[in-house]
Amino acid sequence: MMEGTASGGKSRPVETELELIKQAQQGDRRAFGQLVRRHREGAVNVVYRMCGDADLAEEAAQEAFIRAWTNLPRYKPRSPFRNWLYRIATNVAVDALRSQKETVDVETVYLPSTDEGPEELAETRERGERVRQAVLNLPQASRSVLVLREYEDLSYKEIADTLGIPIGTVMSRLNYARTLLRQTLTPYMEGA
Amino acid sequence: MKEHATHWLGAYLDGELRGLRLRWVESHLKECAVCHSELEALARLRTLLLESPAMEAATPPERFVAQVALRLPRRQEQPPAQRALELSWRMVPIGLLFALAFVQTAFTIAGVLQLALSMGLGGEVGTLLFPGAGAGLSVPDVFSLSQASLAGALGAMVELIQAGGALAWLPVLYLSLLVVIGLLYWSWLATWWARRRHQQLTASNNRG
Repeated sequence: MMEGTASGGKSRPVETELELIKQAQQGDRRAFGQLVRRHREGAVNVVYRMCGDADLAEEAAQEAFIRAWTNLPRYKPRSPFRNWLYRIATNVAVDALRSQKETVDVETVYLPSTDEGPEELAETRERGERVRQAVLNLPQASRSVLVLREYEDLSYKEIADTLGIPIGTVMSRLNYARTLLRQTLTPYMEGA
Repeated sequence: MKEHATHWLGAYLDGELRGLRLRWVESHLKECAVCHSELEALARLRTLLLESPAMEAATPPERFVAQVALRLPRRQEQPPAQRALELSWRMVPIGLLFALAFVQTAFTIAGVLQLALSMGLGGEVGTLLFPGAGAGLSVPDVFSLSQASLAGALGAMVELIQAGGALAWLPVLYLSLLVVIGLLYWSWLATWWARRRHQQLTASNNRG
């Protein structure tokens, strides 16, 4: 979960991350590389859930890190670095979608390998694809809130900080997104 | 009929409710079959959403990091306050040059003024400002002496000050200002060199 939730006798990753951020703010590229390594997976997934294209997601996540590097001296560690980065990643994903302006090619959709039989596999794939499409069809504002809540497990407060919106708006957008998804995905929810 | 808790069910499922609201939703769910079934539907939706696979990155982590490193611009964007500070820092030598020009101009005018007064052009004002004007020494004399030898200039200055008058302190003030401007410039130059060296070291560390 969060970097900040250090516990008991374990080392304190918050300090380490803060140190890395401070060093990166001074122009230390190796420290920034460590930050990229830590947050790569989260950033790529946020962008992927936002735009639904695996190739575009990696490209856009890299772009998000570059924007983060450029603006790093402005970052103030009052909120977690992850939230700040996700905000950038969400904006980059929206920009990427705007510039692309076309439906995602099904070939670029990531489909994991499983041990399921051919029928089950086909069913799982279809369901996954429907869910992905349903999420992609949500309005962008609701989609970003849903992605951060359901896939990145951010609290309402963290989502509000990340997207720069009030907590009440987070809740209403989330309710709206869930209502739309339930309408679209009702046939698939029975088996879930 | 009692009010449904539909609006709060999402937040309840997310564990975001606290205090009275939480207790109200909990007790309501025990009584209301509609809301209970709504909550179950939301939970099923969550399960379904989480079934949708996360992306497995095609690029290995180290390669991703390297690709980002290659695309990083040389310079980071500075915050406005720091940018203003940096600009002011760069303007220091120009400011000092202007200060020097100002001092030179002001003291040249003062020298000409003193010369005019010593020639009796100012009447009583001249005597008041520079009673020793007839002693044969003036600010321009001290300036020219200072170029010849430091000891000579100091001697001339002492003589001029002893003669008294408001304008008698001008050479001292002039030399003091020159020293201050010179010191400020050299300090700036030393700091600039130290910063440059630090940046070079950081850059070479980053490369290494």
